[in-house]
Parts: sequence; structure tokens; C-alpha cells
Amino acid sequence: MTTTAQPPVIVRGPVPSSEGRFGSRLKRSQRVAGYLFVLPTLALFLAFVGWPIVQTIYLSLSKWSGFGDKTFVGLDNYTRMVGDPTARRALVVTLVFTAVTTVAQTGLGIVIAVLVNTVWRSLGVVVRTILFIPGIVSFVVSGVLWKLIYDPNIGTLNRVLGALGLEGLQHTWLADRATVLPAIIVVAIWGGIGMNMLIFFAGIQGIDPGLYEAAEVDGASPMQRFLHITVPSLRVVTGIVVSLGLLNGFKIFDIIYVMTGGGPNHASEVFGTYLYSLAFGSTSGSLPQFGYASAFSVVVMIMCILAVIAQMVITRRAER
Amino acid sequence: MTATLHGRQTASAVSPSKAPGLPRRRRFPFGRTFATFILVPLCGLMLFPFVWLVLTSLRPRNTVFSGPFFPESLSPAAYGQAWTLIEFPLHFWNSLWITSVTVVGVLIFATLSGYAFAKLDFPFKNTLYLLLLTTLMMPATALIIPLYLELKSLGLLNTQSGLLVLYISSSAPFSMFLMRAFFQTLPDELVEAARVDGSSELTIFFRVILPLARPGIATVVIFQFLQTWNEFLMANTVLQDTGKLPLQPVLFSLTGQYATDWPTLTAGLTLSIIPVVVVYVRMQNQFVAGMTLGAVK
Repeated sequence: MTTTAQPPVIVRGPVPSSEGRFGSRLKRSQRVAGYLFVLPTLALFLAFVGWPIVQTIYLSLSKWSGFGDKTFVGLDNYTRMVGDPTARRALVVTLVFTAVTTVAQTGLGIVIAVLVNTVWRSLGVVVRTILFIPGIVSFVVSGVLWKLIYDPNIGTLNRVLGALGLEGLQHTWLADRATVLPAIIVVAIWGGIGMNMLIFFAGIQGIDPGLYEAAEVDGASPMQRFLHITVPSLRVVTGIVVSLGLLNGFKIFDIIYVMTGGGPNHASEVFGTYLYSLAFGSTSGSLPQFGYASAFSVVVMIMCILAVIAQMVITRRAER
Repeated sequence: MTATLHGRQTASAVSPSKAPGLPRRRRFPFGRTFATFILVPLCGLMLFPFVWLVLTSLRPRNTVFSGPFFPESLSPAAYGQAWTLIEFPLHFWNSLWITSVTVVGVLIFATLSGYAFAKLDFPFKNTLYLLLLTTLMMPATALIIPLYLELKSLGLLNTQSGLLVLYISSSAPFSMFLMRAFFQTLPDELVEAARVDGSSELTIFFRVILPLARPGIATVVIFQFLQTWNEFLMANTVLQDTGKLPLQPVLFSLTGQYATDWPTLTAGLTLSIIPVVVVYVRMQNQFVAGMTLGAVK
């Protein structure tokens, strides 16, 4: 995001600037080429991102089951949302999920990155590779895998607890309203931490080693160096990680859909799963509610835009 | 904090001979040994689910729900089961070609536009760039309803080409962002010299820029491969015929069908992650490079 401010292209060397026939011809061919090169991407964008955004907003103001005409209902879908207990539950779960995963992945990510940076180089490479592996498998795979681990009767987690004599801690993890969300959050953190660690690790490589040397001469403890050099130097990177965490949290769908489908009884329902079931999950034979579902899409969109704005603000501050 | 300070003082008091002006600190919080002690068990914990996955897939059927953690005998029977029962080759092939076409498609769009935004000068450049970047904050969750309806009206619902269109359009801007960051690292003089020689912009792109773009392209390939291979929401929504499905929706449907046949289920999961692990381990360096290019910059 920080790279968006583009300085004007300065034509150096033997090429004359925009004056003269030669120069303006060059400028023109650049213009034509520029538009030509951008056009395909722009066309795709307008057709499959821009237009759908407009459509979502329009749909969110209508009532439509996919058959017949749409009826314009104004803000009815949004007022309905306020009174819908499932929507309120989804809001709480989405926010809790996002907050916990973002904080955990940021905090653990930076600490683990520092640790990886501390150990011998070859060990660090191995550790980096291993920690990232949970992040490269799909949420479908990790969801199914952890569903088996959490299985109440024959799942590994309960068996391990049993073997350790901790029968009291055994749960029907994904069917218990109290444990379902923490259980899913563990899987999300397990899958996401490698990515954040790598981003922080890349950021640490860019810190001036002179800072550490100076601090060492001044007798700063490793903890002080971490808190007063590493953390402040990584402010921009932290902004990116937090923003990515928020984005990934607000849009979360796969892992919850695979592990619980939003259940039991909406205990793990998030905006993503709720709007999906409203639009496509006609298990009860009810008609699709494209309008009401789209209102949730708009809410998710706004939340994601806010996350990006938050990141830009952090970056701006850090660069000052 | 006080404990650390105190520790430092005693340490320097006990061994004053060691480097006088530089007190010997206890490297307690982040010393190498300490870090190793934390990281090694952590790696074990992170890998445990995979070890368990592979072991379960290799267990003889009758010992799945009992018996020790490390099975006494191994049997590859479940892999045969997964291969035939869930038509693994068919879905694997679907995933592979859909992913490959997406990667190639995204590359074409992303290199062209990424280059234009990095090195060419044209009016409204920044506006267009920012417009395209809004894609990055539009999650599939939020756009899936209009996209579904759009494909339906275009007659592309339940077709793999419809899915391809969605994949390419939703991913091209992020790869464009990466390619632009990469092209910006190339010196402007390169392009200008070619221009002075009278090369057309198209020639410059194909003859001068693309051959140098290999590292950037490698980064886009690996990101895009992993993302498309793992995509679930769109595939699950757009395609209905089982024969057309890539792996992810099929793996999801297995949980119902093979809920109690864990060896077959885990064998299917294991087979599905082999390509991503291979690609990741082989192309790791590009991945880290991409991280620095895309995220930190």
C-alpha cells in the first residue's frame, strides 16, 4: 500500500523531455501502450469485481429469491439485520474470531520470528519451512483433519487427554457451544501463524544491525532490545500483519463451513457462513434470500475497507 | 524487567574479567539455546496433525480407532481405496489443469499491467491503479452472490470456464501488485535505452523486460498455484456436477460419505496435499522473496 504514491517519471539521459516531435511521439506511444497493457486487467476488473460490487449494493436494497422480479425495499434488509438474533450472534462471533486470531497471530508471529532469527541459520531455515506448512494446505484439508482430531469419541485429542488421566477435560469439542469457537480459533492460528512469522522475519532482516550493536554497548538487555528496537522498527510490518489479520478474520468462511457449518445452533456462525446459507443453503427447502444475504456482503465489504484504511493510517503514522 | 537487570549486575560482578566495558549479560529471553528449546517443540506441535494424518492413512482398517499411536503394521490399502472410490485421478486432474490455466492467465494479465504501472507514463495511471487495488479488499465471501448470478446469466454456471474466469479476475490484481513491485526494481535506463534504439513498447516488453522478469514471475506462480489449488468457496458454488469438481469440494464432501472410514478419508487428504508441499518446498526462496516484495514493501 505504501508503494501507491508514484513519483512522476523523470526522463533521463539522451531522451529529450516532452518537447519536440521526437519526444511527444515517444510520449504518445507510451500512452497507447500503457492503456493497451492495462486494458485486459481493467476489463476483467470491471466485469467481475466492479460490477458485482454495484450489484451487491443494489441487491442489498431489494428482496429477491432468484425467481421473478426484484422488489426494492430500501433499507429493510438492514433493519431486519438489527433485529435478527442470528445476525447479532454472527457479528459477535466474527469480531471475537477476528480479534483473537489477529492478536494471537501478531504477538506470536513477532516472537517466533525473533526466535527464528536468533537460532543458527540452518536450523532457522528448517524451522521456517516447518512452521509454514500448516499455512499452505487448504482450510478444507486442515478443517477436515482437525475435525477428526476433535472427534468426541475416537478423536486424538480426547484420547490423549484420556491417556494423561485428564478425562475431566474431555469435551465434545465441536458440538459444545462453549468450546466450538476456541477449537476453531486454534486451527485458524495454527494455519496462519507461519505466514505472519515469515512477514515479520522478512521485516527483521531490514532492521539496521547498528542499532543492536549500539544498544549492546549501552548494556541493554535482550528484552529491552526486543521492546525498544525490534518492536518499534517493525511498526509498518505490524500494521500490515494486523490489517491482513483483520481482513482474513472478517471474510472467514472456509474453515468454519467445513468444521461446523456455523453450528451447533449458530454458536460458530459468522457473516460468511450465514450469508452463504441464506443465499445457497436451502437445506430446509426455503427460498434463497439473495437480498438479505447481500446486506451481509455489504457489511463484510465495509469491514474489510475499514481494515485497509486502518493499515494505511498506521503506515502513515509510522513513516512520520 | 528488574530480574533481568539484577541478573546482569550479578553476572558482571561475578566475572569482571570478561570484557570489562561490555558486561556479560544473561542472554536469557532470546538466547540461542533458549530459542531452540522453544522452537523445536513448537515445530513438533505444528507438524503433529500431519504426522497423525499420514499414520492414520497407513493403518490397517481394524486398528484405526484403537491401538497405539504408532501402528504396529502399515498398510497402503487405503490409498488404493481413495484412488478408486473417490475417483481421485479425475479430480486431481481437474484441480491441476484449472490451477495451471489460472496461473498462466493471471501471469499474462499481471505482467502486462504490472509493467505498465511500473514503467510507462499515461494519464490517470494512479487512479486506475488504486481502482484495481480495491479488489484486494473485496473478499470472495462478499462477492459470491452477484458473481453466481452473473455467471448464471452468462450461461457459465456449472462450467469450468466460468470458474476460470472468476479465478483469473479475482487474482490478477494481487499478482499485478507483485509484478509492479518487481518491475520497479529494474532500472529505468533499461527501458529508455531500448526506446532510444527505436524499439516499440511491445518489443521492449517482450524482448527486454520479460526475460528479466523471471524472479517476479516465479513468485506469482507459487502464490497463485497455492491459492488456486486451495480455493474452495467459488468452486463449491459454481460447479455442481461431481465430474467437474476440483479436489477441495470433493474432499469436503468426503466428510459426510466417509465419516467413519478414516483411512480412506485421510489417504485422500494426504494425496491432495502432496502437490502443495512439493511446490512449496521446491520454490520456498521465491516465496520468501515475494513476501518481502509484496508485503513489506
